[in-house]
Amino acid sequence: MKLFKGSSGIVKLSRGFGRKGYSLPDKPWLVVAWKELLEALRDKRTMINVVLLPMIIMPIVIALPMMMLNPKTVPPKILVVVEDKEAIDLARSIKKLHNESGAYVSITANGGNYANLILNRGIDLIVEILPGFSRNISLGKSGYIIYYYDPYGTRSSVAMSMVQEIIEKYSERILNERLAAVNLSERYIRPIDTIVKQITSTGKVATTSEVMTAMILPMMVGLIAITGAGTFAIDMIAGERERKTIEALFTAPVSRGEILLGKFSALTILSIVSGISTLLSALIGIGLAVTSLVEATSVAHPQISQLIEASKLPYVTAGILITVALGGLTGNAIMVIAASFAKTFKEAQQYVGFLTFILILPMIAIPYAPQSIYSILRILPISSLAMFARDIIVNPGDIMPVTTSLASSIIYLVAFLWLSSKMFGRESVIYG
Amino acid sequence: MIAIETFSLTKKFGSFTAVRDLSFKVKEGIIFGLLGPNGAGKTTTLRMIYGALKPTSGIAKILGVDVAKEPLKAKKLMGILPEDTGIYPRLTAEENLIYFGKLRGMERSTLEMRIDNLLGILKLEKKRYIIADKLSRGQKQKVAFARAILDEPPILLLDEPTLGVDVMSAREIRRLIKEYASSGKTVMLSTHNMWEVEKLCGRIGIISNGQLRYIGSKDELEKLAGEKEFEDVFIRLVRGETIETV
Ligand SMILES: Nc1ncnc2c1ncn2[C@@H]1O[C@H](COP(=O)(O)OP(=O)(O)OP(=O)(O)O)[C@@H](O)[C@H]1O
Ligand SMILES: [Mg+2]
Repeated sequence: MKLFKGSSGIVKLSRGFGRKGYSLPDKPWLVVAWKELLEALRDKRTMINVVLLPMIIMPIVIALPMMMLNPKTVPPKILVVVEDKEAIDLARSIKKLHNESGAYVSITANGGNYANLILNRGIDLIVEILPGFSRNISLGKSGYIIYYYDPYGTRSSVAMSMVQEIIEKYSERILNERLAAVNLSERYIRPIDTIVKQITSTGKVATTSEVMTAMILPMMVGLIAITGAGTFAIDMIAGERERKTIEALFTAPVSRGEILLGKFSALTILSIVSGISTLLSALIGIGLAVTSLVEATSVAHPQISQLIEASKLPYVTAGILITVALGGLTGNAIMVIAASFAKTFKEAQQYVGFLTFILILPMIAIPYAPQSIYSILRILPISSLAMFARDIIVNPGDIMPVTTSLASSIIYLVAFLWLSSKMFGRESVIYG
Repeated sequence: MIAIETFSLTKKFGSFTAVRDLSFKVKEGIIFGLLGPNGAGKTTTLRMIYGALKPTSGIAKILGVDVAKEPLKAKKLMGILPEDTGIYPRLTAEENLIYFGKLRGMERSTLEMRIDNLLGILKLEKKRYIIADKLSRGQKQKVAFARAILDEPPILLLDEPTLGVDVMSAREIRRLIKEYASSGKTVMLSTHNMWEVEKLCGRIGIISNGQLRYIGSKDELEKLAGEKEFEDVFIRLVRGETIETV
C-alpha cells in the first residue's frame, strides 16, 4: 500500500496514470476502464491477487511435493551394515549412489541400536547384509538383507527405492549366472511378459511433461477463470455500492451498458494479467516438478520449453489466451450477477465464495472424467471452458471438439453477460 | 422556459409512500429550495428528477426532456450533488474530477483549466494529489460540488449542498450557487436549513410526509409569515395547516 501512496495519502507512483485521464478519448467505457484500473492499482489486494498469490504460491504448491521427493534436494542418509565381509562389493555399489543422486552412504561392519539411529540420528535407511550372505548365494540359496526404515518419512521410501534398484540388478545378475549354469534362458522363468502401449488421438507418444500439462493446465485455466478477478468484480459492483459512489456514477450521462462495458474491460485486463502470471508460474511449477521427478528416475532432463511441443506452441498460446479472456469474462459476469444480487459487500463475498466452490468442482473433476463424457462436458457451462483448454493443448488440430467447446463457452458467456447487464441495471443495485 | 417540471410524481417503497403526487414547475434562472424536515422526501424527489430512482407514477421533465424516456439527454443537462457525495476514496481529488469531466465528454484543455480554477476557488489546491479517503467530510463535499458544476450544465440539483461544510466554505458554495443562477442557469436544492433558503432561494417549496405543502416565491412566503417568525410558518406548513394571508 505504501508503495503507491504515503500514509499522508499523497499519490506518487500512480500519479502519472491518474493524470493520463485528461487525454483519454471521448469514449465513456474507456474512461470507466481507466478509473477501475486506477482504483485496482491503489488496492493492495491487487498485488496479492495478481502477483503474490500466483507467482509465489503456485510454484510452491505444485513443485514442492515433487522436489521433496527428489533425493538431490534433500539427500537421504543411508547406512549399510555389512556383517558378511565378502559382501563388500554390494555395499560399494550402494555407496556409488552418492555420485548419482547425492545420497550419503556410509558403510560399517557392526550396526548398533537401529531404532536410535533412525528415530534420533537422522538416518533414513539402514541396509543390513546378514552374515553368510555370500556363502548362501554361492550355495544356491538366498542371501538375506534387512531394510530398516521410517514408514512416515518420504526420504526413507525414496532411499529404499534407490537401494532396491541396485539390489535387484545384483540379484538379476546372479539369477542369470545360475540360469546359464543349468542352460536355461531368462525367458524360461518369465512365462508372461507385458508390453505397454499408449493410445492417443495424435498417435504420438506422450511424455510425462505433456501428460502433466494436459492434466493441470485446463484445471488452472478454469480456476483462473472463476477466481482470477473475482475480488475485483465484487469491488467494482458491490464495493461501488458499499462506498456509495454508484449513485453519483449513474448521474453521469452514460448508459449503464457502457459503464458495465468499461468495468468488464478493466476486469478482462486484470484477469489476463493475473491469468498469465498464474499460468506462467504453474508452468514453472510443473517444469520444476517434472525436472525433479525425471531426475529422480534418471531419465533425460526436460526443459520447461519442452512441456509443450514446439509445433503446437502457437495454437496452445493462442488457446490459453482465448481461454483466459473468455474464462475471465465468464467468471466476472457470474460474479457481477452475484454481486448485484447481494445487498452488502459481505453478502457479495459470501455468494462469490459459494459460487467459486460450485464452479471449481467441474474443473477439478475434468482430469478424472472418463473420455466417454467429454462430449457432454464440452457443452456444459464452465466445463466447456476447461475442455476447450484441454482440447487445444492435447489436440489443437482436431476441429470438432475445439469448435464445440469454444462455441458453447461463447454462448454461455453471452448469456451471463446479458444477465449481468440486466442485474446491473436494477434500481436495487444503487440503493440495495 | 420551464427548467424543471414534475407531474404528480409519486414514489412508493413497498407499501410506504415516500413521495406523493408531487407537481411543480421551476422557471429558468431561479434558485428553487426544497425545504422539509428529515424523512420528508426531499432526497427521493431529487433522485427521481435526476433519474436515479424510477417514479412509481408521474413524470419529471428537464428543459422539456422526459427523464424516464431520454435519461442520457436529461442527465447531460444536469449537474448533480447527491446526498452521499459519492467521491471515490481511492482516487485523488483531481482524479475524481477528471473522471466525471471525461464521462461528461469534456475536452482536455477545458477540463484542466476548469479543475485548476475550481480547486483554487474551493481552497482544495493542496489536496490535488491526495486520495479522497484522506479528505475531511467538508472537503469531500466541496469536491462533490465542484464535480456537479464542472461542465456548467444548465441545471444544478443539489442535495443539501452545505452539509458538513464550515462557515467560510459554506459561504463560498452559496456564492457560487448565486453566481451560477445569475448567469441564467437553474438551481434546485434541498435543505432543512430555513436560514439558508431565505438567504439563497428565490422560490421555495415546503415538503413533509412526501407531500408538497407549499410552493411560492420567497416574498410570498415572507408575506404569509408577516410579523410571525419564519420558523413558525414553516412548522405550521409542515404540519399541513393552511395559513391565511394577513
Ligand atoms: N430506498 C428506500 N427504501 C425504503 N424507504 C426509503 C428508501 N429511500 C427513502 N426511503 C424512505 O422515504 C422517506 C423519505 O426519505 P428521503 O431520503 O427522501 O427524506 P429527506 O427529506 O431527504 O430526509 P433528510 O432531510 O433526512 O435527508 C423516508 O421515510 C425514508 O425512510
Ligand atoms: Mg435527504
